[in-house]
Amino acid sequence: MKQRESLWEAYLKRGFSRRNFLKGCVALTSLMGLSSDMFNKVVEAAETKPLPVVVWIHGHECTGCDESFIRSGAPLASDVVLTSIALEYDHLLSAACGAPFEAHLDEVIQKYNGQYILAVEGAVSTKDNGIYCMSGGHTFTHLLDKAAKGAAAIIAYGSCAAYGGIQAAKPNPTGSSGIKMFVGGKPVVNVPGCPPIPEVMTGVVMHVALFGSIPPLDGDGRPKQFYGNRIHDTCYRRPFFDAGMFAETFDDAGSKAGWCLYKLGCRGPETYNSCGNLRWWQGMSYPIQSGAPCIGCANAHFWDEAPFTDRLPKYDKIGDADKIGVGLAVATTAGVVGHAVASVVQRNQRDNLLEDENHDEH
Amino acid sequence: MKSVKEVKRKEYYIFSPFLRIFHWIMVAMILVLFFTGLIITKPMNVSTTEPFFSITSIDLVRDIHFVAAFIFCASFILRIYGFIINKGDRLFPRVWEGHFYSETVEVALHYMLLKSHHASFLRNPLARMSYAALYVLVAIEILTGFAMYYMTNPSGTGGMLFGWVNVILGSEMMTHIVHHYVAWFIILFAIGHFYMVIRAEFMEGESEVSSMFSGKKVLAHVPKDANELD
Ligand code: SF4
Ligand code: SF4
Repeated sequence: MKQRESLWEAYLKRGFSRRNFLKGCVALTSLMGLSSDMFNKVVEAAETKPLPVVVWIHGHECTGCDESFIRSGAPLASDVVLTSIALEYDHLLSAACGAPFEAHLDEVIQKYNGQYILAVEGAVSTKDNGIYCMSGGHTFTHLLDKAAKGAAAIIAYGSCAAYGGIQAAKPNPTGSSGIKMFVGGKPVVNVPGCPPIPEVMTGVVMHVALFGSIPPLDGDGRPKQFYGNRIHDTCYRRPFFDAGMFAETFDDAGSKAGWCLYKLGCRGPETYNSCGNLRWWQGMSYPIQSGAPCIGCANAHFWDEAPFTDRLPKYDKIGDADKIGVGLAVATTAGVVGHAVASVVQRNQRDNLLEDENHDEH
Repeated sequence: MKSVKEVKRKEYYIFSPFLRIFHWIMVAMILVLFFTGLIITKPMNVSTTEPFFSITSIDLVRDIHFVAAFIFCASFILRIYGFIINKGDRLFPRVWEGHFYSETVEVALHYMLLKSHHASFLRNPLARMSYAALYVLVAIEILTGFAMYYMTNPSGTGGMLFGWVNVILGSEMMTHIVHHYVAWFIILFAIGHFYMVIRAEFMEGESEVSSMFSGKKVLAHVPKDANELD
């Protein structure tokens, strides 16, 4: 294996100018959600820090996060993979396969013990000793265990790795869950989303790569710069929400006019993600902008919170909590009236008895 | 039947003004919170095509909900202050006293119409249990409410103080749902409470309603816990 180079050295080797390099650093700084006074630090790190080795493994999932990742526009995913990180092992993007490929993984884990970044996509399947998710003849739990031991930091890409994902939906037949409990206490950066926004994926790995440290995290282990706000608080349709102007159905005038999708079940008010500010495909659009209510794909348990097009769960033909609540209130009132009538009858009986007793005494 | 004036009655002062003010603030705020809450979950239909002319401002309804919530929370200061200065105000039923349970059972049997009467109490043990349950429901509402409210800034003080509620419930959507469902239980409690105090006032001569205005219970009979005033 060759000597690991820094980003600057990689640029030099490819014949890029210093100016190009600095431009790249400016882009990186803003991408990582850092303020411009961090620019010097970014340049310094890019000049000196050797490119980090990344091992990228896939568990119980659909690889949709990769589909998202390879569409990152700034930085281009190809730039990240080819020049900004040393991607040594990736189930999906690697050309190699078979026994030599698996042997290479062991080699990398040994050689860069304690230094490499482990990116994990997909949930851990725990039921029946993990046999529902196998690769290279081993269970994914085994692979994760092995890879996590020597990792400097772990990035959990997607809602599957962070929280268990779709396969963890009730009744969760494979016992899927997020990776956090299975990495032996190693620091985990949660990058949830189904999938996460491409630029968020590249931004997080670049931060870890350049600074050799994990970005500032919130209580749930998510990078604050990308998951610090609710979609609802950054949504461009918020003025319609505040004014009480809602699309009632998917084809009414309000929906065509671009009003708030709250009544169609939008989960923006409880979802933390960058869809509202970064948007998707280099700022082109995001689901709400296209008229689809947010389903809260970056939230734990979003998969169990159907119906996505309503604010309250429905209970078959009985209806939602408000209908049941009105029913219970009416029933309680009726019960109370019945009880009042019965109480009056009971009291009259009691008084009659007392009167009779009084008569007897005299 | 003797006329009202002939009957000898005794006054028992139990509720301090602070408790009474707290009680009526709670009544008003629960009503405001409940109906604004229903509107926030299911806003009215749109009345205009221009935001400028909208009269269905959800922003305003939300603000009313939040202000009412803060007033409600603040009013607990009155409740606790009353508890400190007045022996009559109690925060919780005395569940550590053995006779509490047999008395509760007796009252419950009467309310189930299985017994013709129950002993009279200044502090009806079953009612007191239901108030403790109400406080639990209110506590859930306060915790879930702030857990949603403060998460506009998860790393702020409020987010730090209440964010764990969302974690325990699994997701913030679940917090919304719990908040909404518990609100309905509070309303069910209110219906039952409303009936029971009127029943006690007019059928059992317990001045259950009037005491929440005057602070005093004026009774013709001697309640079983008459000696528990101080
Ligand atoms: S569309 Fe969704 S996120 Fe946007 S304002 Fe409406 S409820 Fe909030
Ligand atoms: S708008 Fe909501 S559901 Fe859609 S991608 Fe963003 S977080 Fe996920």
